[in-house]
Amino acid sequence: MIKHHPSDETLFRYANGSLEPGPRIVVAVHVGGCATCASRIGEFEALGGSLLHDSEWDQMDAGALDSVMARIDADEADHTRAAAPGRRLPRADVGIRLPQVLDDCGIGPWRWIGPGVRWSRVTLPDDDSANVMLLKVTAGRRLPEHTHVGLEYTHVLKGAFHDARGRYGPGDLDEADDEVQHQPIVDKEGECICIAAVEGRTKLRGLFGRLVQPLFGG
Amino acid sequence: MNASGHYFIADKAVLAFDPAKTGLAVTMRADQEVLSPLEASRLLMAVAAKRDRAAFAVLFAFYAPRLKAFLRRSGMTASVAEDVAQETMLLVWKKASYFDPARAGASTWIFTIARNARIDRLRRDGRPAAIAEALDPSDQPDEPVSGEQAMIAAEREERVRTAIALLPPEQADILKKSFFGEETQSEIAYTTGIPLGTVKSRVRLALGRLRQILDDLK
Repeated sequence: MIKHHPSDETLFRYANGSLEPGPRIVVAVHVGGCATCASRIGEFEALGGSLLHDSEWDQMDAGALDSVMARIDADEADHTRAAAPGRRLPRADVGIRLPQVLDDCGIGPWRWIGPGVRWSRVTLPDDDSANVMLLKVTAGRRLPEHTHVGLEYTHVLKGAFHDARGRYGPGDLDEADDEVQHQPIVDKEGECICIAAVEGRTKLRGLFGRLVQPLFGG
Repeated sequence: MNASGHYFIADKAVLAFDPAKTGLAVTMRADQEVLSPLEASRLLMAVAAKRDRAAFAVLFAFYAPRLKAFLRRSGMTASVAEDVAQETMLLVWKKASYFDPARAGASTWIFTIARNARIDRLRRDGRPAAIAEALDPSDQPDEPVSGEQAMIAAEREERVRTAIALLPPEQADILKKSFFGEETQSEIAYTTGIPLGTVKSRVRLALGRLRQILDDLK
Protein backbone atom coordinates (compact mmCIF):
# COMPACT_ATOMS: atom_id res chain seq x y z
CA MET A 1 0.00 0.00 0.00
CA ILE A 2 1.60 3.23 -1.18
CA LYS A 3 1.12 6.06 1.31
CA HIS A 4 3.50 8.77 0.15
CA HIS A 5 3.28 10.19 -3.35
CA PRO A 6 5.02 12.99 -5.24
CA SER A 7 3.22 16.33 -4.92
CA ASP A 8 0.88 17.50 -7.68
CA GLU A 9 3.47 20.17 -8.53
CA THR A 10 6.07 17.49 -9.15
CA LEU A 11 3.69 15.41 -11.28
CA PHE A 12 2.74 18.58 -13.17
CA ARG A 13 6.41 19.21 -13.89
CA TYR A 14 6.89 15.57 -14.87
CA ALA A 15 4.03 15.92 -17.36
CA ASN A 16 5.18 19.20 -18.87
CA GLY A 17 8.78 18.06 -19.14
CA SER A 18 10.35 20.59 -16.80
CA LEU A 19 11.36 18.18 -14.04
CA GLU A 20 15.10 17.68 -14.09
CA PRO A 21 16.64 14.38 -15.23
CA GLY A 22 17.59 13.04 -11.79
CA PRO A 23 14.26 13.70 -10.05
CA ARG A 24 12.50 12.63 -13.24
CA ILE A 25 13.91 9.12 -13.11
CA VAL A 26 13.11 8.73 -9.42
CA VAL A 27 9.54 9.89 -10.05
CA ALA A 28 9.39 7.53 -13.07
CA VAL A 29 10.32 4.64 -10.78
CA HIS A 30 7.48 5.60 -8.43
CA VAL A 31 4.95 6.10 -11.23
CA GLY A 32 5.87 2.72 -12.71
CA GLY A 33 4.38 1.13 -9.61
CA CYS A 34 1.68 3.65 -8.72
CA ALA A 35 -1.57 3.67 -10.70
CA THR A 36 -2.76 6.78 -8.83
CA CYS A 37 0.20 8.89 -9.92
CA ALA A 38 0.18 7.40 -13.44
CA SER A 39 -3.42 8.54 -13.73
CA ARG A 40 -2.60 12.02 -12.40
CA ILE A 41 0.20 12.38 -14.91
CA GLY A 42 -2.30 11.24 -17.55
CA GLU A 43 -4.53 14.10 -16.47
CA PHE A 44 -1.75 16.66 -16.68
CA GLU A 45 -0.71 15.33 -20.08
CA ALA A 46 -4.33 15.62 -21.19
CA LEU A 47 -4.14 19.22 -19.99
CA GLY A 48 -1.10 19.66 -22.24
CA GLY A 49 -2.99 18.07 -25.13
CA SER A 50 -5.94 20.33 -24.59
CA LEU A 51 -3.75 23.45 -24.38
CA LEU A 52 -1.95 22.37 -27.56
CA HIS A 53 -5.23 21.72 -29.38
CA ASP A 54 -6.60 25.14 -28.45
CA SER A 55 -3.25 26.91 -28.81
CA GLU A 56 -2.51 29.93 -30.87
CA TRP A 57 -0.30 29.04 -33.81
CA ASP A 58 2.78 30.26 -35.64
CA GLN A 59 3.20 30.15 -39.38
CA MET A 60 5.50 27.29 -40.35
CA ASP A 61 8.25 27.95 -42.90
CA ALA A 62 7.20 27.56 -46.54
CA GLY A 63 7.97 24.01 -47.57
CA ALA A 64 8.01 22.63 -44.02
CA LEU A 65 5.72 19.75 -44.92
CA ASP A 66 7.73 18.96 -48.05
CA SER A 67 10.90 18.91 -46.04
CA VAL A 68 9.43 16.49 -43.47
CA MET A 69 8.07 14.34 -46.31
CA ALA A 70 11.52 14.26 -47.87
CA ARG A 71 12.99 13.05 -44.57
CA ILE A 72 10.30 10.37 -44.38
CA ASP A 73 11.18 9.26 -47.93
CA ALA A 74 14.88 9.18 -47.12
CA ASP A 75 14.24 7.09 -44.00
CA GLU A 76 11.96 4.66 -45.76
CA ALA A 77 14.30 4.22 -48.73
CA ASP A 78 17.07 3.31 -46.35
CA HIS A 79 15.73 0.10 -44.85
CA THR A 80 19.15 -1.36 -44.29
CA ARG A 81 20.26 1.21 -41.83
CA ALA A 82 20.13 -0.30 -38.39
CA ALA A 83 19.33 1.84 -35.41
CA ALA A 84 22.48 2.98 -33.70
CA PRO A 85 23.08 0.69 -30.74
CA GLY A 86 22.54 2.47 -27.47
CA ARG A 87 25.39 3.01 -25.11
CA ARG A 88 25.70 0.01 -22.81
CA LEU A 89 26.47 1.17 -19.35
CA PRO A 90 28.06 -1.14 -16.80
CA ARG A 91 25.61 -2.61 -14.33
CA ALA A 92 26.72 -4.00 -11.03
CA ASP A 93 24.58 -6.53 -9.20
CA VAL A 94 23.13 -4.67 -6.26
CA GLY A 95 21.30 -7.67 -4.87
CA ILE A 96 17.73 -6.65 -5.71
CA ARG A 97 15.75 -6.61 -8.90
CA LEU A 98 15.64 -3.01 -10.09
CA PRO A 99 12.55 -1.47 -11.72
CA GLN A 100 12.40 -1.77 -15.49
CA VAL A 101 12.54 1.98 -15.97
CA LEU A 102 16.19 1.80 -14.86
CA ASP A 103 17.11 -0.79 -17.52
CA ASP A 104 19.17 1.66 -19.59
CA CYS A 105 20.93 3.20 -16.61
CA GLY A 106 24.40 2.35 -15.42
CA ILE A 107 24.53 0.94 -11.89
CA GLY A 108 27.73 1.23 -9.89
CA PRO A 109 28.92 -1.24 -7.27
CA TRP A 110 28.01 -0.71 -3.62
CA ARG A 111 30.53 1.45 -1.87
CA TRP A 112 30.96 1.99 1.83
CA ILE A 113 30.12 5.51 2.88
CA GLY A 114 29.76 5.34 6.61
CA PRO A 115 28.80 2.84 9.30
CA GLY A 116 25.89 0.79 7.99
CA VAL A 117 25.44 2.88 4.86
CA ARG A 118 26.42 2.03 1.28
CA TRP A 119 25.71 3.81 -1.95
CA SER A 120 25.81 3.00 -5.65
CA ARG A 121 25.92 5.57 -8.40
CA VAL A 122 23.14 5.51 -10.99
CA THR A 123 24.18 6.93 -14.38
CA LEU A 124 21.46 8.05 -16.76
CA PRO A 125 21.96 6.94 -20.37
CA ASP A 126 21.96 10.49 -21.70
CA ASP A 127 22.96 12.61 -18.80
CA ASP A 128 26.12 11.86 -16.89
CA SER A 129 25.82 14.82 -14.61
CA ALA A 130 22.53 14.04 -12.87
CA ASN A 131 22.93 13.17 -9.23
CA VAL A 132 21.09 9.89 -8.78
CA MET A 133 22.06 7.09 -6.44
CA LEU A 134 20.97 3.95 -4.71
CA LEU A 135 21.37 3.83 -0.96
CA LYS A 136 21.43 0.86 1.32
CA VAL A 137 21.14 1.30 5.05
CA THR A 138 21.29 -1.58 7.52
CA ALA A 139 18.37 -2.51 9.74
CA GLY A 140 17.66 -0.32 12.73
CA ARG A 141 20.16 2.37 11.83
CA ARG A 142 19.40 5.94 12.83
CA LEU A 143 20.68 8.54 10.40
CA PRO A 144 21.96 11.91 11.55
CA GLU A 145 19.41 14.68 11.90
CA HIS A 146 19.56 16.94 8.89
CA THR A 147 17.75 19.39 6.62
CA HIS A 148 17.72 19.73 2.86
CA VAL A 149 18.67 22.48 0.47
CA GLY A 150 16.39 22.21 -2.53
CA LEU A 151 14.07 19.32 -3.18
CA GLU A 152 15.27 15.81 -2.63
CA TYR A 153 13.33 12.80 -3.93
CA THR A 154 13.75 9.45 -2.24
CA HIS A 155 11.86 6.38 -3.39
CA VAL A 156 11.89 3.22 -1.26
CA LEU A 157 12.70 0.06 -3.21
CA LYS A 158 13.06 -2.32 -0.30
CA GLY A 159 12.56 -2.17 3.46
CA ALA A 160 11.29 0.90 5.28
CA PHE A 161 12.32 3.92 7.30
CA HIS A 162 10.35 6.25 9.49
CA ASP A 163 10.68 9.72 10.93
CA ALA A 164 8.42 12.24 12.64
CA ARG A 165 6.36 12.59 9.45
CA GLY A 166 5.50 8.95 9.03
CA ARG A 167 6.69 5.63 7.75
CA TYR A 168 8.04 5.12 4.26
CA GLY A 169 7.86 1.63 2.80
CA PRO A 170 8.35 0.05 -0.62
CA GLY A 171 6.73 2.16 -3.34
CA ASP A 172 6.63 5.31 -1.23
CA LEU A 173 8.26 8.47 -2.48
CA ASP A 174 9.51 11.04 0.00
CA GLU A 175 9.74 14.56 -1.35
CA ALA A 176 11.69 16.59 1.17
CA ASP A 177 12.40 20.29 0.89
CA ASP A 178 14.37 22.72 2.98
CA GLU A 179 11.55 22.96 5.49
CA VAL A 180 11.92 19.32 6.41
CA GLN A 181 14.25 18.55 9.25
CA HIS A 182 14.26 14.93 10.11
CA GLN A 183 16.13 12.01 11.50
CA PRO A 184 15.09 8.89 9.66
CA ILE A 185 15.39 5.52 11.31
CA VAL A 186 15.45 2.32 9.28
CA ASP A 187 13.08 -0.42 10.47
CA LYS A 188 14.56 -3.12 12.66
CA GLU A 189 13.20 -5.90 10.44
CA GLY A 190 15.65 -5.43 7.61
CA GLU A 191 17.85 -3.22 5.50
CA CYS A 192 16.39 -0.38 3.45
CA ILE A 193 17.29 0.33 -0.19
CA CYS A 194 16.23 3.59 -1.82
CA ILE A 195 16.82 5.45 -5.05
CA ALA A 196 17.37 9.15 -4.48
CA ALA A 197 17.97 12.28 -6.52
CA VAL A 198 18.33 15.91 -5.77
CA GLU A 199 17.16 18.89 -7.76
CA GLY A 200 19.82 20.92 -9.51
CA ARG A 201 23.36 20.15 -10.44
CA THR A 202 24.63 21.71 -7.32
CA LYS A 203 26.14 19.83 -4.48
CA LEU A 204 24.12 17.28 -2.65
CA ARG A 205 23.37 18.48 0.80
CA GLY A 206 20.44 16.45 1.97
CA LEU A 207 20.31 13.30 3.96
CA PHE A 208 22.26 11.23 1.55
CA GLY A 209 23.96 14.18 0.01
CA ARG A 210 25.72 14.96 3.22
CA LEU A 211 26.98 11.43 3.29
CA VAL A 212 28.01 11.07 -0.33
CA GLN A 213 29.01 14.60 -1.23
CA PRO A 214 32.72 13.92 -0.81
CA LEU A 215 32.40 11.10 -3.31
CA PHE A 216 30.90 13.39 -5.90
CA GLY A 217 33.88 15.65 -5.48
CA GLY A 218 31.68 18.26 -3.76
CA MET B 1 -4.83 24.18 -47.74
CA ASN B 2 -1.33 23.89 -46.43
CA ALA B 3 1.93 25.58 -47.14
CA SER B 4 2.89 23.25 -49.96
CA GLY B 5 -0.13 24.18 -52.03
CA HIS B 6 -2.01 20.92 -51.68
CA TYR B 7 -5.65 21.09 -50.89
CA PHE B 8 -7.18 18.41 -48.77
CA ILE B 9 -10.66 17.43 -47.83
CA ALA B 10 -10.62 15.00 -44.95
CA ASP B 11 -7.83 12.57 -45.75
CA LYS B 12 -8.14 12.67 -49.53
CA ALA B 13 -5.95 14.91 -51.61
CA VAL B 14 -8.55 16.10 -54.07
CA LEU B 15 -6.51 18.67 -55.81
CA ALA B 16 -2.94 19.71 -56.04
CA PHE B 17 -2.50 23.00 -57.75
CA ASP B 18 -0.08 25.78 -58.21
CA PRO B 19 -1.71 29.05 -57.16
CA ALA B 20 0.43 30.93 -59.65
CA LYS B 21 -1.07 28.96 -62.53
CA THR B 22 -4.67 29.40 -61.47
CA GLY B 23 -4.22 33.13 -61.51
CA LEU B 24 -6.36 33.40 -58.42
CA ALA B 25 -5.31 35.49 -55.50
CA VAL B 26 -4.94 32.77 -52.92
CA THR B 27 -3.90 33.53 -49.40
CA MET B 28 -1.52 30.79 -48.39
CA ARG B 29 -2.13 29.64 -44.87
CA ALA B 30 -0.07 27.15 -43.00
CA ASP B 31 -2.84 26.59 -40.55
CA GLN B 32 -5.87 24.43 -40.58
CA GLU B 33 -8.41 26.08 -38.33
CA VAL B 34 -10.38 23.15 -37.05
CA LEU B 35 -9.75 19.50 -36.42
CA SER B 36 -12.01 17.57 -34.09
CA PRO B 37 -10.31 15.22 -31.60
CA LEU B 38 -12.15 12.30 -33.16
CA GLU B 39 -11.00 13.18 -36.66
CA ALA B 40 -7.44 13.65 -35.43
CA SER B 41 -7.47 10.14 -33.92
CA ARG B 42 -8.84 8.69 -37.13
CA LEU B 43 -6.13 10.40 -39.20
CA LEU B 44 -3.39 9.16 -36.87
CA MET B 45 -4.68 5.62 -37.18
CA ALA B 46 -4.72 5.98 -40.97
CA VAL B 47 -1.06 7.02 -40.82
CA ALA B 48 -0.30 3.98 -38.66
CA ALA B 49 -2.25 1.47 -40.71
CA LYS B 50 -1.76 2.68 -44.27
CA ARG B 51 1.13 5.12 -44.15
CA ASP B 52 -1.48 7.57 -45.37
CA ARG B 53 0.35 10.71 -46.48
CA ALA B 54 -2.75 12.74 -47.14
CA ALA B 55 -3.92 12.05 -43.58
CA PHE B 56 -0.48 13.05 -42.33
CA ALA B 57 -0.63 16.31 -44.31
CA VAL B 58 -3.91 17.25 -42.61
CA LEU B 59 -2.41 16.49 -39.20
CA PHE B 60 0.66 18.52 -40.15
CA ALA B 61 -1.43 21.49 -41.24
CA PHE B 62 -3.24 21.53 -37.92
CA TYR B 63 -0.55 20.55 -35.43
CA ALA B 64 2.78 21.84 -36.77
CA PRO B 65 1.88 25.55 -36.42
CA ARG B 66 0.49 24.94 -32.93
CA LEU B 67 3.56 22.96 -31.93
CA LYS B 68 5.75 25.77 -33.18
CA ALA B 69 3.84 28.29 -31.06
CA PHE B 70 3.95 25.98 -28.02
CA LEU B 71 7.70 25.48 -28.39
CA ARG B 72 8.37 29.15 -28.95
CA ARG B 73 6.34 30.05 -25.89
CA SER B 74 8.39 27.62 -23.85
CA GLY B 75 11.46 29.70 -24.62
CA MET B 76 12.83 28.54 -27.97
CA THR B 77 13.70 30.91 -30.78
CA ALA B 78 11.42 30.82 -33.84
CA SER B 79 13.95 28.85 -35.89
CA VAL B 80 14.61 26.24 -33.19
CA ALA B 81 10.85 25.98 -32.57
CA GLU B 82 10.33 25.43 -36.32
CA ASP B 83 12.99 22.74 -36.31
CA VAL B 84 11.62 20.90 -33.26
CA ALA B 85 8.05 21.18 -34.57
CA GLN B 86 9.20 19.47 -37.80
CA GLU B 87 11.12 16.89 -35.79
CA THR B 88 8.01 16.22 -33.71
CA MET B 89 5.88 15.68 -36.81
CA LEU B 90 8.51 13.31 -38.21
CA LEU B 91 8.30 11.34 -34.94
CA VAL B 92 4.50 11.39 -35.18
CA TRP B 93 4.87 9.67 -38.55
CA LYS B 94 7.39 7.16 -37.26
CA LYS B 95 5.63 6.32 -34.04
CA ALA B 96 2.05 6.43 -35.27
CA SER B 97 1.66 2.69 -34.63
CA TYR B 98 2.15 3.34 -30.90
CA PHE B 99 -0.82 5.68 -30.83
CA ASP B 100 -3.71 4.08 -29.04
CA PRO B 101 -6.91 6.14 -28.83
CA ALA B 102 -7.94 4.04 -25.85
CA ARG B 103 -5.05 5.51 -23.88
CA ALA B 104 -4.92 9.14 -24.89
CA GLY B 105 -6.39 11.57 -27.36
CA ALA B 106 -4.44 12.57 -30.47
CA SER B 107 -3.54 16.01 -29.13
CA THR B 108 -2.36 14.55 -25.83
CA TRP B 109 -0.25 11.94 -27.58
CA ILE B 110 1.28 14.51 -29.93
CA PHE B 111 1.90 16.79 -26.97
CA THR B 112 3.93 14.07 -25.22
CA ILE B 113 6.00 13.51 -28.39
CA ALA B 114 6.70 17.25 -28.59
CA ARG B 115 7.56 17.41 -24.90
CA ASN B 116 10.08 14.61 -25.32
CA ALA B 117 11.51 16.13 -28.49
CA ARG B 118 11.94 19.38 -26.60
CA ILE B 119 13.65 17.63 -23.68
CA ASP B 120 15.91 15.87 -26.15
CA ARG B 121 16.82 19.10 -27.91
CA LEU B 122 17.59 20.94 -24.69
CA ARG B 123 19.74 18.04 -23.55
CA ARG B 124 21.68 17.96 -26.81
CA ASP B 125 22.20 21.68 -26.56
CA GLY B 126 23.75 21.01 -23.19
CA ARG B 127 21.13 22.78 -21.16
CA PRO B 128 19.62 21.31 -18.04
CA ALA B 129 16.62 19.27 -19.08
CA ALA B 130 15.04 15.97 -18.39
CA ILE B 131 15.97 12.59 -19.73
CA ALA B 132 15.65 11.05 -23.14
CA GLU B 133 12.45 9.82 -24.58
CA ALA B 134 13.62 6.23 -24.22
CA LEU B 135 12.29 6.40 -20.70
CA ASP B 136 8.90 7.74 -21.62
CA PRO B 137 5.99 5.37 -21.15
CA SER B 138 4.36 6.59 -24.38
CA ASP B 139 7.17 4.87 -26.27
CA GLN B 140 6.56 1.48 -24.79
CA PRO B 141 4.28 -0.86 -26.64
CA ASP B 142 1.66 -1.39 -24.00
CA GLU B 143 -0.42 -4.31 -23.05
CA PRO B 144 -3.87 -4.29 -24.60
CA VAL B 145 -6.32 -2.06 -22.79
CA SER B 146 -9.59 -3.25 -21.43
CA GLY B 147 -12.89 -1.65 -22.43
CA GLU B 148 -13.00 -0.07 -19.01
CA GLN B 149 -9.59 1.56 -19.46
CA ALA B 150 -10.60 2.86 -22.87
CA MET B 151 -13.55 4.59 -21.34
CA ILE B 152 -11.34 6.01 -18.60
CA ALA B 153 -9.00 7.58 -21.20
CA ALA B 154 -11.81 9.29 -23.11
CA GLU B 155 -13.45 10.41 -19.88
CA ARG B 156 -10.18 11.77 -18.58
CA GLU B 157 -9.69 14.00 -21.61
CA GLU B 158 -13.20 15.33 -21.26
CA ARG B 159 -12.86 15.81 -17.52
CA VAL B 160 -9.65 17.79 -17.89
CA ARG B 161 -11.24 20.09 -20.49
CA THR B 162 -14.21 20.68 -18.24
CA ALA B 163 -12.06 21.24 -15.16
CA ILE B 164 -9.98 23.91 -16.88
CA ALA B 165 -13.16 25.66 -17.98
CA LEU B 166 -14.44 25.58 -14.39
CA LEU B 167 -11.29 27.07 -12.87
CA PRO B 168 -11.40 30.75 -11.99
CA PRO B 169 -9.80 32.56 -14.98
CA GLU B 170 -6.75 33.78 -13.06
CA GLN B 171 -6.03 30.27 -11.84
CA ALA B 172 -6.47 28.79 -15.31
CA ASP B 173 -4.11 31.49 -16.58
CA ILE B 174 -1.34 30.80 -14.07
CA LEU B 175 -1.55 27.06 -14.81
CA LYS B 176 -1.40 27.61 -18.56
CA LYS B 177 1.57 29.92 -18.16
CA SER B 178 3.46 27.54 -15.94
CA PHE B 179 2.49 24.50 -17.97
CA PHE B 180 4.01 25.86 -21.15
CA GLY B 181 6.96 27.17 -19.21
CA GLU B 182 6.17 30.45 -20.87
CA GLU B 183 7.51 32.19 -17.88
CA THR B 184 9.41 30.70 -15.01
CA GLN B 185 7.95 31.37 -11.60
CA SER B 186 10.68 33.93 -11.01
CA GLU B 187 9.76 35.69 -14.26
CA ILE B 188 6.08 35.69 -13.34
CA ALA B 189 7.09 37.21 -10.01
CA TYR B 190 9.19 39.84 -11.76
CA THR B 191 6.65 40.85 -14.39
CA THR B 192 3.70 40.95 -12.01
CA GLY B 193 5.56 42.39 -9.06
CA ILE B 194 4.19 39.58 -6.89
CA PRO B 195 6.77 38.03 -4.55
CA LEU B 196 8.15 34.65 -5.69
CA GLY B 197 6.79 32.86 -2.63
CA THR B 198 3.32 34.18 -3.47
CA VAL B 199 3.62 33.02 -7.10
CA LYS B 200 4.63 29.58 -5.89
CA SER B 201 1.73 29.36 -3.51
CA ARG B 202 -0.66 30.56 -6.22
CA VAL B 203 0.50 27.77 -8.53
CA ARG B 204 0.07 25.35 -5.64
CA LEU B 205 -3.42 26.70 -4.93
CA ALA B 206 -4.42 26.52 -8.59
CA LEU B 207 -3.22 22.91 -8.77
CA GLY B 208 -5.12 22.10 -5.59
CA ARG B 209 -8.29 23.62 -7.01
CA LEU B 210 -7.80 21.73 -10.28
CA ARG B 211 -7.33 18.50 -8.33
CA GLN B 212 -10.53 19.15 -6.39
CA ILE B 213 -12.54 19.79 -9.57
CA LEU B 214 -11.06 16.75 -11.30
CA ASP B 215 -11.94 14.53 -8.35
CA ASP B 216 -15.44 16.00 -8.12
CA LEU B 217 -16.00 15.22 -11.80
CA LYS B 218 -15.08 11.59 -11.35
